Amino acid sequence: MVPRAFSFRLFRNFASLLPALFGALLLIVFWPTLSGAFGDDGAFNPRMLLPGNAKWEGVRTTAPARWAFELTRRTSAPARLRPTTVRPDDASLLAEPFTIWGGDADIPPLTTREVKGLRRFLALGGILLVDDFAPETQAFTRAAKRELARVITDRSPVTIGPENVLFRSFYYLKRPIGRIEGPSKIDAYVLGGNPQIIFSAHDLLGALARSSNDTYAVQVTPGTDPLQREKANRMAINISMYVLCSNYKDDQVHAPFLMRRRSSEPQ
Amino acid sequence: MNRSWALSGDLAFPFIVLACVLSAISLALLAYELFRGRRKAFAIGIAVTGALGVVALLLAVLRPVAIVSRGTTVGSRVVVLLDGSRSMDLPGDSGTRKATGLGAVAALQKHAGDVRLGMLRFGDGAPVPLALGASAGDAAAPYRPSPRSDLGAALEAIAQASDERPRALVVISDGRLDRPSGEASGAAARTALGVLDVPVHTVVVASDAPRDASVRAVRIAGAAVAHQPLAVRIEVGCTQGLSCDEVPVSVRELHDTGEPRPLAHGVAKIENGAGTIELSITLDRAGPRILQVQIQSPSGDEIPDNDTRYITTTVTRDRVRVLHVAGRPTYDVRALRMWLKSDASVDLIAFFILRTPDDDVNASQEELALIPFPVDELFSQHLSSFDAVVLQDFNARPYGLEKYLPTLARYVQGGGGLIMVGGPDAFVTGHYAGSALAEVLPVDLRLPAEESPVDLGSFVPNITEVGRAAPVLSPLRDLIGDVFPEMPGTNVVGEPRRGTTVLLEHPARKTKSGSPMPVLALGEKGSGRTIALTVDGSHKLLFSTFAAESAAGRAHGAFWDALLGWLMKDPRFEPAVLDLPGGCIADEPTTLVLRPLPGQKGEASIKIARLGNPSTPVKSLTANVPGDAAPIQIDAGSLPAGGYSISVEIGEGAEKGAPARRDFACEKGGDEWADPRPDVDRLEAISRATGGTTVKAANIDTIPLPAATEVSAERRVSAIVPPWTWTVLASILLGLHWILRRRKGLA
Repeated sequence: MVPRAFSFRLFRNFASLLPALFGALLLIVFWPTLSGAFGDDGAFNPRMLLPGNAKWEGVRTTAPARWAFELTRRTSAPARLRPTTVRPDDASLLAEPFTIWGGDADIPPLTTREVKGLRRFLALGGILLVDDFAPETQAFTRAAKRELARVITDRSPVTIGPENVLFRSFYYLKRPIGRIEGPSKIDAYVLGGNPQIIFSAHDLLGALARSSNDTYAVQVTPGTDPLQREKANRMAINISMYVLCSNYKDDQVHAPFLMRRRSSEPQ
Repeated sequence: MNRSWALSGDLAFPFIVLACVLSAISLALLAYELFRGRRKAFAIGIAVTGALGVVALLLAVLRPVAIVSRGTTVGSRVVVLLDGSRSMDLPGDSGTRKATGLGAVAALQKHAGDVRLGMLRFGDGAPVPLALGASAGDAAAPYRPSPRSDLGAALEAIAQASDERPRALVVISDGRLDRPSGEASGAAARTALGVLDVPVHTVVVASDAPRDASVRAVRIAGAAVAHQPLAVRIEVGCTQGLSCDEVPVSVRELHDTGEPRPLAHGVAKIENGAGTIELSITLDRAGPRILQVQIQSPSGDEIPDNDTRYITTTVTRDRVRVLHVAGRPTYDVRALRMWLKSDASVDLIAFFILRTPDDDVNASQEELALIPFPVDELFSQHLSSFDAVVLQDFNARPYGLEKYLPTLARYVQGGGGLIMVGGPDAFVTGHYAGSALAEVLPVDLRLPAEESPVDLGSFVPNITEVGRAAPVLSPLRDLIGDVFPEMPGTNVVGEPRRGTTVLLEHPARKTKSGSPMPVLALGEKGSGRTIALTVDGSHKLLFSTFAAESAAGRAHGAFWDALLGWLMKDPRFEPAVLDLPGGCIADEPTTLVLRPLPGQKGEASIKIARLGNPSTPVKSLTANVPGDAAPIQIDAGSLPAGGYSISVEIGEGAEKGAPARRDFACEKGGDEWADPRPDVDRLEAISRATGGTTVKAANIDTIPLPAATEVSAERRVSAIVPPWTWTVLASILLGLHWILRRRKGLA
């Protein structure tokens, strides 16, 4: 049996070592990511925009995190692995230059404060991805366009195709794609030649979403292309890279390389 | 006292003439009458009484007066203009041209007699009083030679002066004038004099040209633009039979460190004593650049100092060519890229590392819109074509930049700009510590072994005292005031290097010496400048609630515009302006003018270093800056020929501001010695056009000087005899004449 005094002294010594042990444990756990943590403020964050009373729920809630994970896995770009949500009338909308507005049906009109918030976000150069979760009906796309027309009054959406930098910001893509194959081009509000509001009629988040058993949550349509989900991932990566690098791949210094590669591809 | 007389005291000159003419007619008629009559008796008596009667009558009409006057004789004013230019230090007829000219001045003073001589010296602009030495003819008279010889400006100034006008001008010169120039020198001098119609006598101080080969002129066609070829036309002269059919010519650029960089060379073919060669050069760095144009002179050259010319040419930028290299794409990279792309004056070449070797892209190379990072091409072949390089959160090791860090350091010392922006892969974590590049950064990267190279704690940077006064932060502070947005951590750096200006500092973190850690620091190395920004959160000035509420996102542009502007030596962001109003003549006193900004005060520390050897200043000067922004003249003493850089820092200790810099050249003779041949023809043309004469200095006493003018102080006029006396005399004589005529039967 251990004497009482000895056991108390041992306990007291151990207690005094606790903070140091705890600190060392923290250091061991976080050491590999210390330098990575510095700079996370500028990391890509696919945060969801939730206007009105909207809640972020359903099968696609895992999609932003998956998007961030794929970005960090495939590229050098840092990303927030636990993306957040944001309200359009909240000041935190202006904290970062990217947000995703998704939905599958008609939506109530934006409030005046929400319109103002979005207007400030776009005036600072923010980029908004509008993802239609039910592109078969396009009810959400129509509603979003209707509401965004109140936000941007001096421009209208235009159609952009594979010639746009969005389709070569990381992967070389021939068309947009998501959970559904959808139209071969996308609509966008463009500012200075660069897309600022991107309308995805392809349910991009649907293709990225994972279920609790780590399988894909939603089937892709038509699914005849075995690479459809991979291409949707690449589309998401390209959007990320466009958000982080702007029109970097439009620079003339890159053009000769990319043009050579295009011409060498089989027609 | 002077005595004289006049025919009349009150009659106007025409009436005097009329009276004389009538008297002459009377005498002529009398003579004719007596000649025709051929009567000898009483003829003489008639003639005498008649003639005397007419004269007496004339005197009765005119009434002659005696004049007594008292006054002084004033010598005419003659202005002597001595050529004060640098060319007067060349050989002349008696020693140097200056000595010959001063000797002529002394001789003229002796010869002038009553003439009042005004002694002036002409050079650049209006003439100034000639300060002679202790004795006339002293060649070492204490004045700094002028880098120009503008006689035209001197003549204009004399003609327009409000003081007494001269009756003649005497110009003592070698004729090698900037103005009037060309074949119409005479007419130009006449025009410069305007309404002042006086003769300009010219005195030649040198008759013969020395045996000399020289760079006579360097002409640059158009404006010098960085990275664009520039044609330089060089005229070479060869006089007095020197053997120089072909003269090698070279053009080099002076740099802060090392030997001058060769730009071009060629051979000028000399015909009839002159030859021209056109060389193409390309200057990479913007701002004032010093070119050295040199000929290889033949043996027998008497003036070797004019074989080399130093030409200061200001190189502008068509656009600032910036290389932006980022280690990974982030919102901070995005913000900086967007600003660089939006600025029309920036030609941006960007390379971002989008994929590391460890990333699993899940695609073949053909499916990727990526290109290899051309590190070798960029940092070996094309580096000099960039005005500035931005390394943003870029790790030197994995991408092969490490081996080019010495090259990048030399690029900075040669005049390039470098900005290192923080991030997880910048500064110490980017493997720059201990490298050649670390030596040119404004902060020390040597950290204690136990110190973490990054600090993850968020903080709000403090603006330093210097930062508050620095023009480079002024546009930003106008938008956001003195409070920065919160920064998400920082790279850890050491002490600011000597001469570094710290604009932002960490509020809590200290360096080894206990001073706050620099967050934004500006430094100079060689001819180039570097900036260290240890945070990766400047994008918060563009996109954040802070940005939206403070300046609607404009603060980011204001911040980077000023940083890039300072890096490129934009005068808007210079902490002070240095000027050399009289230029720099080798081995002659040089005056600097320091123009501080409002609010700058304290001691100004000025260092003058020779280009090529910046580590050893040739002069270290100080001046007190009172804070009223008034220009301050500083005597810099004399400097040998060559290229120099001046740097000035105002303030002391923590308040010391960013250094301002200016490069300049000192020449022994400059333009004035480029063509040492005296131009006697030009002096003769000036004299001829103004009615003057041209003489050699030895014959200056033959110049026709204007006579003195008498100025009366008192004048008395009185009749020689009372006027009635003439009337009585005329009556008697005419009466006698009438009696004699009657006796001879004349009417």
